[in-house]
Amino acid sequence: MDQMSDTTPATASAGHFAVQEDHVIKTEGLSKHFNTVKALDQIDISISKGEFVSIMGPSGSGKTTLLNILSCLDVPTAGRYLLDGTNVSDMSEADRAVVRREKIGLVFQQFHLIPYLSALENVMLAQHYHSIADAGEAQAILESVGLGGRASHLPSQLSGGEQQRVCVARALVNEPAIIFADEPTGNLDEENEALIIDLFKRLNKDGRTIALVTHNPEIGAMADRTIRLRHGHLES
Amino acid sequence: MFFRMIRRSFLEARRRKVIAIMTVALAASLITTLLDLSVDVGDKMAKELKAYGSNISIVPKSESIPLKIGGIDFNPLKGRDYLREKNLANIKDIFWSNNIVGFTPFLQVPVELKGQDTRLPLIGTYFDKSFPLPSDELYRTGATLTHPYWDVSGAWPDDESANEVLVGKSLARRLDLAVGNELPLVAAERDEESAGPLTVTVTGILSTGETEDDAILAPLSVVQGFAGLEGKVQRVSVSALTIPENNLSRKAQRDPDSLSSSEYDVWYCSAFVSSIAHQLNEALPDASANPVWQVANAEGAIIGKLQVLMLVVTLAAFVSSAIGVSSLINTSVMERAAEIGLLKALGAAKWQILLLFQSEAMLIGLIGGLLGLMVGSGLSQIVGWTVFGSALAFHPIIIPVVLLVSISIAFVGSIVPSRSIARLMPVEVLYGRK
Repeated sequence: MDQMSDTTPATASAGHFAVQEDHVIKTEGLSKHFNTVKALDQIDISISKGEFVSIMGPSGSGKTTLLNILSCLDVPTAGRYLLDGTNVSDMSEADRAVVRREKIGLVFQQFHLIPYLSALENVMLAQHYHSIADAGEAQAILESVGLGGRASHLPSQLSGGEQQRVCVARALVNEPAIIFADEPTGNLDEENEALIIDLFKRLNKDGRTIALVTHNPEIGAMADRTIRLRHGHLES
Repeated sequence: MFFRMIRRSFLEARRRKVIAIMTVALAASLITTLLDLSVDVGDKMAKELKAYGSNISIVPKSESIPLKIGGIDFNPLKGRDYLREKNLANIKDIFWSNNIVGFTPFLQVPVELKGQDTRLPLIGTYFDKSFPLPSDELYRTGATLTHPYWDVSGAWPDDESANEVLVGKSLARRLDLAVGNELPLVAAERDEESAGPLTVTVTGILSTGETEDDAILAPLSVVQGFAGLEGKVQRVSVSALTIPENNLSRKAQRDPDSLSSSEYDVWYCSAFVSSIAHQLNEALPDASANPVWQVANAEGAIIGKLQVLMLVVTLAAFVSSAIGVSSLINTSVMERAAEIGLLKALGAAKWQILLLFQSEAMLIGLIGGLLGLMVGSGLSQIVGWTVFGSALAFHPIIIPVVLLVSISIAFVGSIVPSRSIARLMPVEVLYGRK
């Protein structure tokens, strides 16, 4: 995929990491503690370019906590995390915001669309904070997820599946190094679930790197590889 | 995209925005009214305060030589030196001539009632005189203008009449005089015996609470003619609109020569009672014009206190509306927490999100300010008419000042919510947990 060509080379801050060229994500001893609760404990994972990884596990196993840290929304208590060759584990919030807009696409279970902006404008919002809003490009992305005709609709005028597709379009529009999705079908009926699953499959086929948190074994099985968590540990 | 967001989000939660706008508008209208008043209140209040009498006294230069010992005036020229009546036109020719509300000359001579041995003061003055100015204008001035607290039962004498007089209240009681009585006057001093006799008619009884209560007051020309002092007056009371004294005027008062040339210009071109007195001294070479400090200071103090009071009310309006706006924006931040979290998750910098909320707040301030300006201008006219009985002038400078203040209200009101925006973690609001 072409976004691979502009990946940042490993920086000095990567320290002793043995950086493999095709790893978009690599963690070592990644831990997250909330007071005495160890939500994540010593997680070592890596995700390669173009890989489709599902993160599975029962409720409270640390899936979302791991996804939050991987998507730079949260910081680990201990351990190191290399994203696209850059150590992001001890970055400031402002620097992580830059990483989020440059390298990460986010898909939420709750969609989180801005209610007063149209589908097109919700996509353009991501462009706006990334670089510059381009209505033509945003429209093309909406068309690619099958929503070309719904661009001017407000989220309240769209079905759940359509809202989730807007959310996916918003995650894609800046050509991120990796797309993180947290239970993307959790709020959808079967029909829309199938549509979204197809969409993710297609994106992966196009070479996108995807990490997806899910409860759904069917979706989990669709991924190239599954990372299983239990009580904050990797299940071997 | 930024403006599109502002436009779209501004139309969201309209009820709260309307309340915020009304809060700012309320404060802005109050501030508009107070500003309108405070610009005019100096003049308006100074005019009202003229009820307390004139604030500058002009006497011949020789009279101002201090020769008082133990409260007794030993100045041999006391009452013997005069000002020239025709020079009084110069009073209306100074830099601050428009601030001269009026002036009233006085000439006092002793008289006796024919056949009696009692000495009485006869005071010549203007009651409501048409005074010709060099510009050929007729200027109406006199005691009715400069001494509004003088109370006459009966009628004021006509300044052009030859025999109409007012009699002071105490004197009238002592001599059992009433309106319509005639009084035969003769000069009380030997060297002025040639003057008179003069028979005058009482048109009114004057009550002032001062020395005039024991005197007879006649038109100036009558007294001048009677005493053979044509064209002469002893002192002039001037009523001028002034601004409260400040450090500069106090410095000038101590020693005008100590002012730098720019300080002097500022002082000279400000309507301080001291600078107006200074200009009167320049205009009347043989005279000495001095502020009547009790009156001038009381006026200055009252106006000064009023302005402080208005400043306090303005500040209170500012603070209370800022708190109101702050709580409204805070509610909005709570409600839009997920939106803020999303923007952060999308990689928006903190300042970009703050800019969004601040811009909305400024817009609220601007609209509230414009509304407040309109309402406040109307309100200040109502206050003008009900309190002062006249319209307040419109001051364009108030427009930018009020808009700036309104926007500041919104800005100050958004400081606290901005801190919550800055602290908000996307993880907390997007997933409802950390």
